[in-house]
Amino acid sequence: MRFVAGRLAALVPVLALVLAIVFLLVRAIPGDPAVVLLGPGATQAQIAALRDQLRLDLPAPLQFLEYVAALARGDLGTSLKTGEPVLREILLRLPATIELTVLATIAAVLVGIPLGVVCATRANGPLDHMLRLVSLVGVSVPAFLLALVLQLVFASWLGWLPVSGRTSALALDPPITGFAVFDALLRGDGAAARGALAHLVLPCAVLAAFLAATLGRYVRNSMLETLGEDFVRTARAKGMARVRVVYVHALRNALLPAVTVIGLKSAEMLGGAILTETIFAWPGIGRYMFEAIRNRDFPVIQGTTLVFALIYVTTSLVVDLIHGALDPRVRKRLR
Amino acid sequence: MPFARRRLAATFALSLLAAPALAQTPDPARTLVVAVPSDAAGLEPGANRAEPIGSEVILNVFDTLVAWTPPDFAALEGRLATRWTVSPDGKSFEFELRDGVTFHDGTAFDAAAVKFSLERTKAMNPFAQASFNLISDIAVVSPRVVRIVLKEPYPAFLSILAQPQSAIVSPAAVAKHGDQFAVNPVGTGPFVFRARQADTNIVLEANRTYFRGAPKVDRLVYRIIPNASTRRLELENGGIDIIQQAGQLAAIPAETIQALRNNRNVAIIEVPSQIIRQLEFNNKKTTGPFADLRVRRAVMHAIDYDGLLQGVFGNTADRVYGPLTSNSWAFNPKIRELAPKYDPAQAKRLLAEAGVRPGSLTVPLYTFQGALWGAVATFVQANLADVGINVTIQQTEFPALRALHTSGNFDLALDGRQPWYNDPDAHITIGYLSSLADTAMTFRFPQDEALDAAILKAQQTVSMDERKALYFKLQEDILARAPGAFLFSPKLIVFARANVRGLVINSAPPLTEYWSVSKQ
Repeated sequence: MRFVAGRLAALVPVLALVLAIVFLLVRAIPGDPAVVLLGPGATQAQIAALRDQLRLDLPAPLQFLEYVAALARGDLGTSLKTGEPVLREILLRLPATIELTVLATIAAVLVGIPLGVVCATRANGPLDHMLRLVSLVGVSVPAFLLALVLQLVFASWLGWLPVSGRTSALALDPPITGFAVFDALLRGDGAAARGALAHLVLPCAVLAAFLAATLGRYVRNSMLETLGEDFVRTARAKGMARVRVVYVHALRNALLPAVTVIGLKSAEMLGGAILTETIFAWPGIGRYMFEAIRNRDFPVIQGTTLVFALIYVTTSLVVDLIHGALDPRVRKRLR
Repeated sequence: MPFARRRLAATFALSLLAAPALAQTPDPARTLVVAVPSDAAGLEPGANRAEPIGSEVILNVFDTLVAWTPPDFAALEGRLATRWTVSPDGKSFEFELRDGVTFHDGTAFDAAAVKFSLERTKAMNPFAQASFNLISDIAVVSPRVVRIVLKEPYPAFLSILAQPQSAIVSPAAVAKHGDQFAVNPVGTGPFVFRARQADTNIVLEANRTYFRGAPKVDRLVYRIIPNASTRRLELENGGIDIIQQAGQLAAIPAETIQALRNNRNVAIIEVPSQIIRQLEFNNKKTTGPFADLRVRRAVMHAIDYDGLLQGVFGNTADRVYGPLTSNSWAFNPKIRELAPKYDPAQAKRLLAEAGVRPGSLTVPLYTFQGALWGAVATFVQANLADVGINVTIQQTEFPALRALHTSGNFDLALDGRQPWYNDPDAHITIGYLSSLADTAMTFRFPQDEALDAAILKAQQTVSMDERKALYFKLQEDILARAPGAFLFSPKLIVFARANVRGLVINSAPPLTEYWSVSKQ
């Protein structure tokens, strides 16, 4: 418990540092949001007036202090493009990204771990070679290409799945929780829930491919290492069933590095979500951030970065805790 | 507790299998789905900054006093106004308003609503300030008559009144929703706002009591699909009915157009636009190689204009010869002859006269990001290399290029202009008036009293014939100053499913009305 509290306290300076860096970076890239906002024909006087109104002329440290003070009140500022509060805009889009990344992580784990185990137990056999080739493709193929191929095959040619979007274009129901499948179930609308699930399949597959392939390779290697250890040989010599040895004794030990990979890569998935969300017209926070950078929408860039950083550090905290649960030695150190 | 949880799970499982809720399923044959590349910045006419998506939605939910008449958009017709008169001095506009029109919230449309809406935009919209600040008074003469008085004559004002910033809002709805009006827009237009999900869609429903007659579809859905290839797949699959004009700086690759041409289920609508793309000089700069008129003319002679249209655009763009596109009512046909033609030998002669030795000049060429701008820049680079000018291409993001432009920190740039209202004034005044030089999207013209006076005179002259003559002369004067090489005007290209009928594309600015569109 004390460990968790300590880790949570350590998050504050990390987040402050991230914020400060982003704050300075967005102001260092060329492009004046006032010019972008005002459009053609705006005079220098109008631009100056707007810069003043947006408080862009204050020295950067002063702007930062004002921002942090507002942040302490839970105010992330207002979007320069839409004039809406950034926090509200982020909360509107966050469920879409969480739905996508969480499901993609689960899918990657469900595919990646068995893939690694199968490869390790049949090391250097034809199945191992084939699956390793598949995972090599999974690691190296760019997401946009994979997305396009999947869209072409499963949406265009076979017609099994929708090309893009999150729900049917004809659906009108306002979100309840923001999680499309869950909302449809709450409403008792089976067709809408099935539709929302169908919309999830392709973007999830694209997002999961990289993690599943990476995970498969890690699990294969650490399984091979574990399978060669003394305790495995002893267990086998005592006449324990092979399945039990592989899946209970060896896998539990081999999973330790995998947990780290899952934690770090699923946080990195947020980065991949920017591209996936754009291609699949998925209304998530990654796409929102990308648009904000293009529009020099400073408050939105800062707000989304803060959320990304928060997710990243929380994930690594969770990874540490899972490590503790899996490995008694770590647990002891944590205490 | 376990039982309750099991029951909840069972409810979820059953609902997955349940039939769709029938009442909520609209008829796909009477639903028009339009794909747009980004979400609307807002649906508030008062705050509209000519951002294309929001502007178009506004024009389908609201009405303006006047609008350009399809299919050629050359003359104005009355919408909420039935007729209007302009005083001889060009300062006073009196509108007779349509009777019996109601807003979507059931309140009546009248002259007070016109006054309310225009004064609201004037107060809250910095983008349209230059035009709306010309208004000195709006008088409600009677519930059916409104008079707008300007501080100085401005014939293009009628054109401004056809823009989304001039859309008439329901005063009752503004009072009710306050600063939430942008998310609850209420107008008199052919479609009623129904719902909006951020970055997902905007849903409009037919206004059954619309004064021009009900729209031919029940529902109009804007779907936000940022990726071009996804939009194309959706269109081919029938998931969407229309792909709207891409953002003004983007263009559709020629291969995509060719591929869709071969698809029987897709119709391609192409119309000339009033957009101009140019290779421009920093005209305000008094030093450096391009301060010499001969060097600027040499660059204009170095460009293979027809080769660019063929090679890069596959004829999806039109030639531009000067400061106005050939489809403008004020276009001077003599400009076709006066514009410098592709002539590398002449370019080399002019450079030699100016003392620029081949290979001695190296300049960065700034432009926007994107494959198309890259292709144009590469083409220009090759043309200039042929006459001995070395160019290094610097592609940069839109805001960064704007910043570079307003600070005047460049020699050569590829840039473009799209007029936000249908009048030559939109190109000429913003482009070439010296007092606006340091603002965005201008040619950074240096102070020139004679030219400035001529521009303002053309802007304020009431007689159409006189105005036309003034713009004819202005085009020649501007071209003589060699402000840049006028490269091309991209066509407006809209893809639609073959069963879509009645779609008419407005050329300036490209904002489509869906009132007349149906699906067979």
